Amino acid sequence: MIELVRELAGTYGPSGREDEIRDVIRKNISGKVDELYTDTLGNLIAVKKGNGKRIMLAAHMDEIGVVATYIEENGFIRFSNIGGVSPVFSLGQRVRFANGVCGCVCYEEKLKELKDLKFPRMFIDIGTNSREETMEYVSPGDIAVFEADTIEQNGKYISKALDDRIGCAVLIDLIRQIKEVKNEVVFVFTVQEEVGLRGAGTAAYALMPDLAIAVDVTNTGDTPRCNPLSIELGKGAAVMIKDGRTISHPLVKNKLIDLAKRFDIQYQLEVIEKGGNDAGSIHTTAGGIPSGAVSIPCRYMHSPCEMVDIGDVKSAVNLLKAFILSEF
Amino acid sequence: MRTDTLLEKLCEIDAIAGFEASASDEIKKYFEQYCDKVWVDTFYNVIAYKKGSSKNGKKIMITAHYDQIGMIVSGYEKNGFLRVSNLGGIDMKALLAREVTVRGKKDIFGVIGAKPPHLFSSDEMKKNVKLTDLFIDTGLPDEELKETVVVGDPVSINSPFVRMINGCVAGRNLDNRCGVAACVLALEKLKNSEHENDVYVIATVQEEAGLIGAISSSHNIEPDIAVVIDVCHGDMPDADKASTFALGKGVPVGVGPAFNRKFTEQLLEIADREGIPTQLCVEAGNPGTEAWAIQVSGMGIAVVEVCIPLRYMHTGAELVNLGDVDIASALVAKFAAGRTVIPSKEDADDSDIN
Repeated sequence: MIELVRELAGTYGPSGREDEIRDVIRKNISGKVDELYTDTLGNLIAVKKGNGKRIMLAAHMDEIGVVATYIEENGFIRFSNIGGVSPVFSLGQRVRFANGVCGCVCYEEKLKELKDLKFPRMFIDIGTNSREETMEYVSPGDIAVFEADTIEQNGKYISKALDDRIGCAVLIDLIRQIKEVKNEVVFVFTVQEEVGLRGAGTAAYALMPDLAIAVDVTNTGDTPRCNPLSIELGKGAAVMIKDGRTISHPLVKNKLIDLAKRFDIQYQLEVIEKGGNDAGSIHTTAGGIPSGAVSIPCRYMHSPCEMVDIGDVKSAVNLLKAFILSEF
Repeated sequence: MRTDTLLEKLCEIDAIAGFEASASDEIKKYFEQYCDKVWVDTFYNVIAYKKGSSKNGKKIMITAHYDQIGMIVSGYEKNGFLRVSNLGGIDMKALLAREVTVRGKKDIFGVIGAKPPHLFSSDEMKKNVKLTDLFIDTGLPDEELKETVVVGDPVSINSPFVRMINGCVAGRNLDNRCGVAACVLALEKLKNSEHENDVYVIATVQEEAGLIGAISSSHNIEPDIAVVIDVCHGDMPDADKASTFALGKGVPVGVGPAFNRKFTEQLLEIADREGIPTQLCVEAGNPGTEAWAIQVSGMGIAVVEVCIPLRYMHTGAELVNLGDVDIASALVAKFAAGRTVIPSKEDADDSDIN
């Protein structure tokens, strides 16, 4: 699976610029589903036909990034965030634009304290000397993503963009594993989750599934002196009960918990205060779609060194497999 | 049923936001007494339908949310303590030293501990309470606690329903069971009255968690007009006069961009005609009620709002005047039964210009 994760996480695809990552996902699943198409907003929709319930599984393919807003006379690029980018995590990182041009994220030297580190006082240096020279490579509106390799070490994947390419990998793995399904399973690789769960809602509106599950990453509470949170790396896939946007529908969460118990799949229960995933927009679509989420615990989210446990990823695959194969 | 008895019974029901499934049938029973067709939808909204007498009747949807604020278990601490997260906008400082029920495999009694003031540091004296500072003390051995309670179990506040001498009642869940009571009483009044319009009375879910029930209901019903019944802030000695309303002095009616002007005027005219006192509840923008979601559902829905003043919102000691519940129900029943004039297209354009 590491090759798949590396390919997905290494592919360019910030919110609103998902073409490249969509092509990579399409290549990985074409011929393995009954229908495969892209909708107006750019969601990639893969259908395994069946006569039972229509189940939507959503993993977002967009990643966070930075967008060029202004080019200084001496060639430096001022930028803003696409999605929840931390100024602290960005500092000293490399970013890469769609055309492959790389830049270094630096800050104004007069800045005294870390708390004053905000995007307006930061810039990207691509090694050019003038506005004209920079404009040959980067214009305002161009979006860059963070650069980092994907490695496997001590039973973990460490990479940029595991949020949520690991969810995409889970869906792709499921598509490859499953031959026939009774339920109609619609795998949706959504766009623009990081800027407000924008793609999942419109996809759900078009598909009108009976049930929906978002497959995304979630924070952990297992690092030194962190805030209390009952999620740990390596303790299994997390069944979401509540996040900042959604209280999971009993139909979905109870079924997931029952299946995890019945098939002895390691799981944990997720209750968090802030943040949301695609379930948040799916469950309020139209007259309401019963929704929940299966989350993969992830340390250092929205940093270039996100870390997930390989066992947790497998648990997520097994749990979702049990869900889509079961009767309702 | 007398209003106080009805309200007492409704307040006893536990329907914590997102965990209404078990309560929906109980709410359904109250509607069924006055209505032939009552059903519960996928999200546990309870819908009562009364057909109108006219072929050209319009659809009026009346909503009052029946979910309540509460907490949800988010983790364990040693020695029988639980960590919690909020369900809805609970008032943290009002949780200190409260008795609660943890809805695990079985109900567990617990108290939310409060560090005695003697042990405060000078910094702590000034600080507000955060939810992360609060723990539920169950007194159970850790093993037994883990067997009985899992992360994700809901927690409700314990608090008795108290009749006060001035026609007021106090207790938990009055936000918005007093609205649900007004719905039941309105249905009772409509039972024996002719009305042209089709009336849908809905006890909605998850208002406290993002207006979820209002969003799903308005999509499913697609009403021509919606009436939202919810609480507004009651007057208190130390609160802003403009955003609080006297108890027992009339029904606050919502005014502002969220509310349809024409129907709000009709509502106020009906109140005048029927001798029902009103107050004006001015909301400059988002009123923080279901009206905000219903207004922009589908192609847009005309919304009016009828409020019941309530003191000490989102605590275990909310307080309302029973008379306010009665007159709110009377006004809503009259509005639903009345010959509501639906504006023609030209009128609608006109009101846009205004």
